[in-house]
Amino acid sequence: MNEPSIVIPLAIALSGLLLWLLISGRKSSRMGAPSYSSLDGLPTAKHYGYFPQIRQALSEEDAQFLRENAPPHVAKRALRERRAVARGFLKGLHEDFSNLARLGRMIAALSPEVSHQQETERLILSLKFQVLYSLVWLRLAAGNLPLEQLEHLTGLVGRLATRMDAAMAEISALSAGQIQGGLGA
Amino acid sequence: MNHLETFLSCSIFAFQVTLCAFLYARKAQRILPFFTAYAIVILVNMIWLWFVYKVFGFLSVTAYFCYWISILVNAGMRSLAIAELCRFKLGAYRGIWGLIWRGLAGLSALFLLHAAFDTWGQPNRFAIYSLTLDRDLEIASVAILAALLLIHNYYGLSLEPLQRTIAAGICFIAATDAIGYTILQHLYTGFLFPIFSGNHSSLWRDLLPYSVRINDLWSTVHVSCFMFTIGIWCYALRKPIPARVEAPELLPSDVYRELSPAINMRLATFNDRLVELLKP
Repeated sequence: MNEPSIVIPLAIALSGLLLWLLISGRKSSRMGAPSYSSLDGLPTAKHYGYFPQIRQALSEEDAQFLRENAPPHVAKRALRERRAVARGFLKGLHEDFSNLARLGRMIAALSPEVSHQQETERLILSLKFQVLYSLVWLRLAAGNLPLEQLEHLTGLVGRLATRMDAAMAEISALSAGQIQGGLGA
Repeated sequence: MNHLETFLSCSIFAFQVTLCAFLYARKAQRILPFFTAYAIVILVNMIWLWFVYKVFGFLSVTAYFCYWISILVNAGMRSLAIAELCRFKLGAYRGIWGLIWRGLAGLSALFLLHAAFDTWGQPNRFAIYSLTLDRDLEIASVAILAALLLIHNYYGLSLEPLQRTIAAGICFIAATDAIGYTILQHLYTGFLFPIFSGNHSSLWRDLLPYSVRINDLWSTVHVSCFMFTIGIWCYALRKPIPARVEAPELLPSDVYRELSPAINMRLATFNDRLVELLKP
């Protein structure tokens, strides 16, 4: 590593990354470190609940109706806006996924023992998700993603969220039991 | 020493004394013992070098070796201060710390090995060995700090303001030095190397003023950046250091053992669905 053309951009890039991390760390420090209370306040999923309305807005019948009855420029604009809505919804699903993954990381941070395999697996899954999400987003933007497939995905997030909510309730109960046990001792 | 070097030396000395005074006043040794030791070592090294220059002369062989040894001692202490920053917050989270310290130690070992190999391949001069080793350690410092902050962000943790400022300062000075040393090393091991390694003493005599000017320029940049860094550390130390935050209440081990595989399984299923979604 003796070439200035390698070292200098590397040093600048690493410093830029560090600066960005320091700034984002400053923002996240305002939210506080992981704790029982932060686990309680973490929304597991919220966007998937709006899927019926989105489905209505994106239905093929609506699109057909627009094509047949509205002037071409209005129909084109409406279809473009429908795609933007679907992208926004996908972004919401991404947020739901991120919250669930964050829950996993917070549980890991608050555990006295963690598994190397589990943590590596979650990291790889999160990275893979980012790549896949970008590809799905591109397909949606290009307008060739069927609505049924999006519905399938939403159902999955919904089931996942329900399970996580149940798990969170268990953790809260456990936490309350610990505090009571501590007071009783 | 010329006037510029004397002025820069006096300024940096004043800054270092101020930093040590702040650290002493804030009792920083209780919370950050290695960083405090680093600040003291750079001050002691400077006083020691000043004596060496006075006794043996600025351009003597002894001064040359002492200078480069002091650079390596500073780099070693800085590494300890970085290790301390790594442990500062993460140490309270026993589970992830057990995992992370191994990763960071492995990364440090890799960088050290790289630095050793890089230094091994340099022309046979002590200054170039030290310069290369220090330059590689500077890059390693920035990379380890970046890895540390990435881990903090990943687990939703954050450094305290003082520790963040220390990290920013170390990063700034390490990046500046890495760039400067790379340029210097490229000059001395590149087209200038044959001039002072072969039988070109008359040519070297002509080039000496230019070499001195390059060194002066680099000293000015390095010392100015270092003073800026010490300035921001002093600024962060203007307020009393908050007491160490109490260790967080940890969850029972069973929670992780039960929930983590379940979460990962669901995340994997989610990714599988996304892959299905992408199939034509």
